[in-house]
Amino acid sequence: MPEPKLTRRQFLALSAVAAAAPAAFALQACDSGSEERVVNFFNWSKYIGPDTLSRFTRRTGIRVNYEEFSDEEAMFAKLRSGARGYDLAIGADYMISRFKGLNLIDPFPSGALRNIGNIDPRFRKTPYDPQDAYTVPYLWGTTGIGFNRQFLPRAPQSWRDLWDPRYQGKISMLDNSRDCVSTALLMLGYPETADDAQLEQAKKLLLSQRPLVKQYNSSTYMDSLITGDVLLAMGWSGDILQACREKPQLDYAIPREGSYLWVDNLILVRGSRHRADTLRLVDYLLEPETAAGIADAVRYATPNRAAMPLLDKSLREDPRVFPGPELSKRLRFHQQLDPATVQAWNELWSDVKVG
Amino acid sequence: MDAWLSWLICGRSRKSSYALLAPAVLWLALFLIIPVACLLELGFLRLGPYGTVVFSLTLSNFSRAIEPRYLEILLRTLGYAGITTLLCLALGFPAAYYLSFRAGRRRELCLAALMIPFWTSCLVALYSWMIILGREGLLNSLLLRSGLIAHPLRLLNTPFSVVLGLAYFYIPFMVLPLYGSLEKLPRQYLEASYDLGAGRARTFFKVTLPLCLPGVVAGCILTFIPCMGDFLTAEFLGGPRTYLVGNLIQNQFLMAQDWPFGAALTSVLLILLVAGLYFYQRVEPQR
Repeated sequence: MPEPKLTRRQFLALSAVAAAAPAAFALQACDSGSEERVVNFFNWSKYIGPDTLSRFTRRTGIRVNYEEFSDEEAMFAKLRSGARGYDLAIGADYMISRFKGLNLIDPFPSGALRNIGNIDPRFRKTPYDPQDAYTVPYLWGTTGIGFNRQFLPRAPQSWRDLWDPRYQGKISMLDNSRDCVSTALLMLGYPETADDAQLEQAKKLLLSQRPLVKQYNSSTYMDSLITGDVLLAMGWSGDILQACREKPQLDYAIPREGSYLWVDNLILVRGSRHRADTLRLVDYLLEPETAAGIADAVRYATPNRAAMPLLDKSLREDPRVFPGPELSKRLRFHQQLDPATVQAWNELWSDVKVG
Repeated sequence: MDAWLSWLICGRSRKSSYALLAPAVLWLALFLIIPVACLLELGFLRLGPYGTVVFSLTLSNFSRAIEPRYLEILLRTLGYAGITTLLCLALGFPAAYYLSFRAGRRRELCLAALMIPFWTSCLVALYSWMIILGREGLLNSLLLRSGLIAHPLRLLNTPFSVVLGLAYFYIPFMVLPLYGSLEKLPRQYLEASYDLGAGRARTFFKVTLPLCLPGVVAGCILTFIPCMGDFLTAEFLGGPRTYLVGNLIQNQFLMAQDWPFGAALTSVLLILLVAGLYFYQRVEPQR
């Protein structure tokens, strides 16, 4: 009989809510030009090591306000609408052209980061930042399927398994156009630069799945896997591997059609008034010990080559985190889409949600 | 100071009335009228690249907002808000009656018990409901252990969990006006009714209920309207089939980056609610 209990994650969520209010006040307070040195860091929820920031503060005396978001489109909407007071944020590879297009981010001053050489060259001169001007890679991961081995006869092989009527009401899908539309296109064998007719097919495919889906969710689907409310969840590698740590029956697989490899990047928010301290924080995050500590905690892969030997052996040797050469061939980067296509995808996704 | 206060309060001069009104008018203009006007205007503008807004007028957002597939969501939301309101009334009326007629010295305690859930952060409450209603949650574990069910019930992400969540949040909006109107009811009227030979049931239906009807109406309006705009409950406790108009609007602003369309949807919802209230005021018999 399962014991009802407050899982660690749920407890964290509750305490995060409790902590959020004073943090918001703190952010206000330091905006008014107090003498205290501070960096305001806008990042995914729980996307950092437990002692990463306190170690930085102890070493430098610079306090870090860690404000969390659980949805990057919402984060983008917030920065776009002129939210003030953020110094450092996280932007996924495919969002960089949008941030640049609206002049929301500044380039890193050249030579400002002593530790930038630690980054694996694979993650430099990328299609989304060919000059390495605007981004410093933070963590990377893949999109795949989290599942419960206890209740599934076999591991999911294909994205089609998320369309299997046997699992009606036991399926969770990410709630964003980027992951869902590109996966539907992948299943149909189309590139992300699909034309309107191909997008229409992708929409039909996603709509046909809708009756089977229990929830469209990008922030609490790991809890649903842990509690057994869903058996299959489209999700991000680290999120699901964190859930695996709590519930060993859970596992993560990348379907045979392949998937997307994405990189979350540190970006400098335009209008920041704490630039020097922000750069100091970025440089600290690039240190091998720091990067390894973060990756160990959040179970995403680090692009920091110098951190690799310091990683937990179980993480470093986990092919679900660092896919081997065979699997890597089936992984690709998201492409940069033009504004009209982004809008078309967003509308398509909105239509799928409406049903 | 004293002279000024008495000038303000005695109200012989028209200016003193203006002075009394000024703060409220200023507040309404700044935080209601101007934002709503901006919202309406935004609904007539075009969407630019990366979710920016282009200053060129169009009706397309409004014509899209009243397409059948969006109206269906609006109707669904009306249904959820209506059912929640009825549920709150069914649960809230006995509670208010008890508070007013029976609670006695326990009244303060009961009122506090009613309000404390309302004062807690709604996110904490939603997470708690997720823990209670989940497949391996508290409720299912209890039912399984007691042998009442053999397999866990599907409670979370269903219409049931959404209505439950909405009723949980908005029931104080129903109970408090009901309680207020029952409190105001002169007890002599009830005694008079008994003296004239009416029984308990007859007194309730002929005296108590008609006299607290304004409280019923106020409670229903206060419950129904926030339910129409709620999106967090459906987001956390609902699923694809419980997508409400609040979710649709939130989605336009935060995910789809289509603020003009979101503004048009919000305007349509606002117009419907205001029109409904206006219509109600017109047909309601004068008291």
